[in-house]
Amino acid sequence: MSEIPLPQAARRVAPWWLTRHETMLAAILLVALIVLGALNNRFLTLDNLLNQGRLTTEVGLIALPMTFIIITGGIDLSVGSIVGLCAILLGYSWKNFGFPLPLAIAFSLLVGAAAGFLNGLVITRVKVPPLIMTIATLALYRGLAEGISQARSVRGYPEWFYFIGQENLLGVPAQLWLLLIAIVIAGIVLDRTTFGRTLYAIGNNETAARFSGLPVDRAKLIIYTLSGLMAALSAVVLVSRVTTTRSDMGIGYELDVIATVVLGGTSIFGGVGTIWGTVVGLAMIQLLKDGLALTGVKGDATIVVIGTVLILSTLVASSLQRRRDGV
Amino acid sequence: MSTMAVTQAEADPRRFLRALASQEALLAIAVIFLAVAVGLYNPRFLATRNLSDVLLGNAYIAVAAVGMSMVIVSGNIDISVGSLIGVLATLSGTLAVNGVPIIVAWLAPLVAGILVMALQGIIIAYLRIPAIVVTLGMLSILKGGLISVTGGKWITDLPDGFHLADTELFGTVPMPVFLMIVATILAAIWMRYSAPGRAIYAVGGNAEAARLCGISQPRTVVMVFALHGLFAGIAALLYATQLRVIQSTVPPNLELTIITAAVVGGVSILGGVGTVIGSTLAAILIAEIASALVFIDVSPYWIRAVQGVLILVTVIADILRRRRMAGA
Amino acid sequence: MTMASDQAPHDTTAPPILSVRGIEKSFPGVRALTGVSFDVAKGEVHALLGENGAGKSTLIKIVSGVFPPDRGEVIVDGRPVSLTRPDDARRAGIATIYQELLLFPELTVAENIFMGHAPRKGFGRLDWRAMRDKTRALLASLEIHDLQADRVVGSLSVGNRQRVEILRALSQDARILIMDEPTAALTEYDVTRLFDIVRKLKARGVAVIYISHKLDEIFAIADRVTVLRDGAHVATRRVAETDASTLVQSMVGRKIESLFPKITVPIGAPVLEVRDLERRPLTKKVSLTVRAGEIVGLAGLVGSGRSELAQTIFGVTPAEGGEIRIAGAQVAIASPAQARALGIAYVPEDRGTQGLVRAMTVRENFSLAALGKVALGGFIDRTAERKLAGDGVKRFAVKTSSLEQVAGKLSGGNQQKIVLGKWLANQPRLLILDEPTRGIDVGAKAEIHRLMGELASQGLAILMISSELPEVLGMSDRVLVMREGRIVAEFSREAATQEAVGAAMMGSHNAEQAA
Repeated sequence: MSEIPLPQAARRVAPWWLTRHETMLAAILLVALIVLGALNNRFLTLDNLLNQGRLTTEVGLIALPMTFIIITGGIDLSVGSIVGLCAILLGYSWKNFGFPLPLAIAFSLLVGAAAGFLNGLVITRVKVPPLIMTIATLALYRGLAEGISQARSVRGYPEWFYFIGQENLLGVPAQLWLLLIAIVIAGIVLDRTTFGRTLYAIGNNETAARFSGLPVDRAKLIIYTLSGLMAALSAVVLVSRVTTTRSDMGIGYELDVIATVVLGGTSIFGGVGTIWGTVVGLAMIQLLKDGLALTGVKGDATIVVIGTVLILSTLVASSLQRRRDGV
Repeated sequence: MSTMAVTQAEADPRRFLRALASQEALLAIAVIFLAVAVGLYNPRFLATRNLSDVLLGNAYIAVAAVGMSMVIVSGNIDISVGSLIGVLATLSGTLAVNGVPIIVAWLAPLVAGILVMALQGIIIAYLRIPAIVVTLGMLSILKGGLISVTGGKWITDLPDGFHLADTELFGTVPMPVFLMIVATILAAIWMRYSAPGRAIYAVGGNAEAARLCGISQPRTVVMVFALHGLFAGIAALLYATQLRVIQSTVPPNLELTIITAAVVGGVSILGGVGTVIGSTLAAILIAEIASALVFIDVSPYWIRAVQGVLILVTVIADILRRRRMAGA
Repeated sequence: MTMASDQAPHDTTAPPILSVRGIEKSFPGVRALTGVSFDVAKGEVHALLGENGAGKSTLIKIVSGVFPPDRGEVIVDGRPVSLTRPDDARRAGIATIYQELLLFPELTVAENIFMGHAPRKGFGRLDWRAMRDKTRALLASLEIHDLQADRVVGSLSVGNRQRVEILRALSQDARILIMDEPTAALTEYDVTRLFDIVRKLKARGVAVIYISHKLDEIFAIADRVTVLRDGAHVATRRVAETDASTLVQSMVGRKIESLFPKITVPIGAPVLEVRDLERRPLTKKVSLTVRAGEIVGLAGLVGSGRSELAQTIFGVTPAEGGEIRIAGAQVAIASPAQARALGIAYVPEDRGTQGLVRAMTVRENFSLAALGKVALGGFIDRTAERKLAGDGVKRFAVKTSSLEQVAGKLSGGNQQKIVLGKWLANQPRLLILDEPTRGIDVGAKAEIHRLMGELASQGLAILMISSELPEVLGMSDRVLVMREGRIVAEFSREAATQEAVGAAMMGSHNAEQAA
């Protein structure tokens, strides 16, 4: 084979940051905020916005490790079931085992991490594809939640526990602090650490990543464990907010989480995505729900829109990617 | 050399027969074994009334599993079927309640099912959006759509002729069970003896090789999803005509039960292998286990955990088997 | 046309069954074929010879209808055919058996053979009995007695799977059968059986295009051989009228361009010592030593096991037997991460899939193997990373518009420099290079050679795998030759000549240990 010289790279028409997916999304977000503010004059008050933030925490916490996972080209469908399982075990260990509540919380977090770890272990050792493994554990973990709880709910937690879910700290909802801290940590890890770089490499070319000596299996194990852990944390926040534990908690979370991540610009095929994008996606989905509520559409029906958003944003991202690759 | 050839020739048909029958035979044995075992513990389990209730109440799952098996054999997945069945059942009931001729109310879910699933198939095959994304989105659209349209209300006042379950063929076989058996057998014959049926196995087994054999992957995928929609429609019909009312929701995670039935029935989650006879037997087995739990005084709330373990173990065993075969 | 019984079964005076004329094909950045023409006669076994990158697989894909040529035509049985889809080739009577067998592992032998064109009964029903009977007839016609129509293909040995593919071609009345490296994964026994089948096919008038690097096979089975090199047709000869060294010369002989003169470098202690290293299927009790400052060239034909050896030393496919010593200490290398930690670097043969992350930038690729060096406590220091990449770009003269340029858009030579550079950032003590200058223009080649000399003088131990003899002879202090998974010869720099090394590569009796 002989080489022929390549043409010069085309000169860029606009600065790189202007055409990125995240920027466009942020622009849409701004527009949506203004529109909603116009339709409802109580919308743009700080109080209301902070309350919106409170409601996004549960999905938001899980969307962070899900971003990591989808960047590597994987997926985790069991997150909703892990939320349910951890919520149940929180109540169960407190009420039936007699754990002091802090210990029950720690136990719940541990179970979540273990559930995620099991996912990661089978994915990396047995090499079951992530989609299939997490569909199986979606069933298994939900089943365990139902079996352990026998569909009985647990109530009557001590007052201090409701602080996380319902009170404000320095004027900001307590769980929102949790989310903000998690966002900052996740964003820094993904963008600025060797770990984050490893994730992008795996998503773009796992073989080359391995051949470069990167610890691919260890990275995968970590992100799935994190996913389980965050699902558990989200469960704790949820229980604190609604003051009860039930075995059907977390059902459908995987839709919200995946839609958030995909809407935020993370490609379902892997290799591309940012935490900033996920945050914007999170805000957009919440605003979407608000907008729908304003027009009288209630809770369950909003998932129609979320589902449509998921399919459409994947379509758009996929065709943009194909055009970029020159296919 | 010739003796070696002869003994090998003898050994293989035996081996082949064993391999072919194993999953299905194992399931049939398991069904019988479980019935006997639980029956010994609690004879009321074997009462005709109970057994027929189990079959009647779960025939629709087996029918849906037929279509799901085809989808999985072709190398895809669908998690929207549970919600679709809910929508189609409500569609059927609503039509019947509003005076539409019964036959139309029966056929409507079939047609609608084919259309909705074919649409998903087109998006997956031609727009190349991953099946999990499309069907996850569609699941939500259908589920949410159903709730907002029905408002959670159940459909009552169904006309008398509507209930298929009332019909009994040959005096003893209830219509739903009959449909389940017929659907399974017809699908099995089609998948074994028709070229498009084999094309599903080709596309799921090695899409590149299938292409070089002249089999179009996109067209096969759309066809498979359309058929899946047909069986989902039949399942919805059975579900709708089971009771005197049509509930506003289907059992939670219905799609998981259907997938479990397919996978435990021998359909490899990676595609290319499996039969609908296996999935029907597996659906019966799972229904049997659910009922058995009650009769052995285990809380029925454990059924999903049992399903979860079944699907996890089956999938891991299948992947390990594939890896061993590939490394050979 | 009468055929006397003592005439060769193929008759090259009759019109050829297949003829390609002036075939040209280019891909972005690469001219794969530059005007190739040759003929194949009916009932002829025509071998296609050439190194990786010579254009064989591109040519075959064109004849198989995978993609059309940019220019030129394909003529079957005297008539030009337009091959834009694999179906077109099939209808023209051309069947191809690729190295990666395209079978359905969960389906039976009979079904694999007849997929897409199964015999039917009434109502369009598949006639399984007829399928089985026809399969048995096909098996009998090739005298294959140890394969049953009902066996599941996934349970078959590689040899049997290949036979299924051949039967599939026959079931479609193929007149031209193309076989791409058919013996790569076969046992000796299977190779013999394959030759039997090829001879039977010949007798039936089926033309076989046989792509292989194994010269002894070509001499055993082929009637004529065509050599390709760098996308061009070099020669077509009757096998009976040529010999191995002429063929090797055609395959690899190039004008020896001014390679960078070899600097004499003091050679130090052993850095890599390998003793009786084993790894199925292609690493069989290999022993070698590479010392600091030394460049050891590893020559051999493709399929001789050189890359496999490199990947075992590097931990991609860990060893199953034998020992590895690094700087005297025995080590177990179970992953590339471990190899890297021991100071081993591997620049792979397939830079697009294994060496580079094409979607990432130049800067990100440069630091990929040395993230620890530009990070503090896990946090990447952007300034240090930019400096590392900037230094690398300068040192290796990588032509790129900026550090943020996407690596996949660079030329092959520049991509290779990045892969090399990323490993050097790690300051390894052992560098394994696998075809370091394949597909690279002359200028970049010379730069890489200069670099290798420089690295050796700095005390690096270098193991260089290469199929280009001038490169091997020009750069190496010692030359090792591998064949079929074993080291079969070793030459000092003085004793290594194209003839001697070439002979050892092919396995003639003249290959000897040189002092």
